[in-house]
Amino acid sequence: MIRSSQFTKGLLALAMAAAGFGAMAADKVTVQLKWVPQAQFAGYYMAAAKGFYKDADLDVTIKPGGPDIAPTQVIAGKQADIVVDWMPSALAAREAGVPLVNVAQVFNQSGLMLTCKKASGVASPKDFKGKTLGVWFGGNEYPFLNWMSKLGLKTDSDIKILKQGFNVDPLLQNQAACISTMIYNEYWQVVDAGVKEKDLVTFFYEKEGVATLEDGLYVLEANLKDPAFVAKMGKFLKATLKGWDAAVKDPEAAAKAVVAADTSGSASMKVQKRQMENVAKLITNAGTKKIGYLEPAAYERTVKVLLAGGSDPVIKKDPGKAAYSHAIWEAAQK
Amino acid sequence: MSETAAIDAVAGATGVAPWFWPGLVLLALVAGYSVYRMAAVNGSRWVGMATAALFGVWVVVFWEILVRALDVPRVLLPAPSLVIGSLFDNAPKLWGDFVQTVGKAVLIGWALGCGLGFAVAVAIDRMPFLQRGLLPVASLTSAIPLVGVAPIAVMWFGFEWPSKAAVVVLMTFFPMLVSTLAGLQAAGKLERELMYSYAASYPRTLLALRLPAALPFIFGALKVNATLALIGAIVAEFFGSPTSGLGFRISTEAARMNMPLVWAAIVVAAVTGSLAYALLVALERRAAFWHPSVREG
Repeated sequence: MIRSSQFTKGLLALAMAAAGFGAMAADKVTVQLKWVPQAQFAGYYMAAAKGFYKDADLDVTIKPGGPDIAPTQVIAGKQADIVVDWMPSALAAREAGVPLVNVAQVFNQSGLMLTCKKASGVASPKDFKGKTLGVWFGGNEYPFLNWMSKLGLKTDSDIKILKQGFNVDPLLQNQAACISTMIYNEYWQVVDAGVKEKDLVTFFYEKEGVATLEDGLYVLEANLKDPAFVAKMGKFLKATLKGWDAAVKDPEAAAKAVVAADTSGSASMKVQKRQMENVAKLITNAGTKKIGYLEPAAYERTVKVLLAGGSDPVIKKDPGKAAYSHAIWEAAQK
Repeated sequence: MSETAAIDAVAGATGVAPWFWPGLVLLALVAGYSVYRMAAVNGSRWVGMATAALFGVWVVVFWEILVRALDVPRVLLPAPSLVIGSLFDNAPKLWGDFVQTVGKAVLIGWALGCGLGFAVAVAIDRMPFLQRGLLPVASLTSAIPLVGVAPIAVMWFGFEWPSKAAVVVLMTFFPMLVSTLAGLQAAGKLERELMYSYAASYPRTLLALRLPAALPFIFGALKVNATLALIGAIVAEFFGSPTSGLGFRISTEAARMNMPLVWAAIVVAAVTGSLAYALLVALERRAAFWHPSVREG
């Protein structure tokens, strides 16, 4: 066994040497997105298209996500250095033994909402009683359950919950009175399907006080102990935030960068430009020094919502201050 | 992969006691030998089952040891002890899922799909024009991808179990049709001519000779379809479902990183599939007792 450990040490030395030589070349960074290429991730595509990553001497690989890809599993399997994820699933993963840490919060506001047809008789949250509501699961149900318990509605008797797929059909087919939508995506799919905006009622989680933080950047806790990693990620974040600022300023160019990066060919200019304009509304700190900074108050609010999940909370104990770090954000300010 | 990740990976592999690997090799030898001795015993079916069970137990033991020793993150692969714990903790929940998925969607869909496949096969056998017209259309159903059909079924039949049953019907129909058709051709020429010389009618020949001869084929399809139905119903639940069901549980808990419960749901599905298969084998032994494959046992 001794021989083998020496052998691995030798390998490691070789790897280090290679990495040492590699330091002359660009640093490699792999970022895993939460979903398919779309304007929700315009900042990363913009930074790549405009050469911000290259200027920072980084070789960045942007891995698109999808319905069958969990960013937390990708980073646990060491297939990415940094992932884009929503706070509920990141904190759930942290409790399940993947020590994720939030290092930047790009979206300050939640884009999650319930979209209802006026014809179904829903005008205010009071009207939910007795209705069928479509909900996304996989972590996204917690803000919803929290909201329902705030309204005093029992989820097994007062309302009927459907586990919604990744489309808006239940609303179009009148199988549900309301469905979950994102302001920058599914809401517009409903409108594009021919439903007039005046026939729709929307309820924002943000306005109802039950929002949880969405797109943020997460790394593994152990990596934060490595100053070289923090410096590298600082460069990455700086270039990325520059990309976001550029995307917010110029939705047209952002849409172009996204459509060019989408190999599946499903992204269209019109839809992506509109999505970018709506994403811009969620990045309230765009163009300021504060962009990407996680407000501790917002973090604590999210944790509170997640802990109050009734009988089946998404996290059982408060992860405390260990679940976020400003180290990389501060490195990005240099 | 950064350098730190590389160090982590190596450190993980060497972070065990020095006696661990030799001990593991020794245990592997013991395990291999015990299964080998067990397999060498000539005996009834029960011995065969016990051998398989022993092998399975050893696999679980090694899984537990390796996951714990190498500190594999729980979200990648939970230890079996965690899975079993989750299975007991969530028994009422999983029972509800079982009733929703297996009790409703799978059973009804499987019965309808197999029944329909059988009926169409007999009709095609009777009327040659159907063979030319219906069979090619029916074979199309085998080529439809599940992920394409499931959302459409939700649109047509709603979120409840009928949409899942519809997907199951579609998946089980064609294997049954093809197997029954092949089975109906299985009766020997000599026997058929004998029936003909008795002036036996078509239904009579069908009931007395051709269907019994087709039984092994039909049971083959029933067994394959039992597994297909289970897979179909579970995957269909990924595309919209009420808030219970094995597929619902697997997809939502996986997204919450609650892997022990995901695996517990998988265990429920696997045990269900194995039991259904065993039940059908037992039925076949009683129904097709004359068949050579059964007779020798």
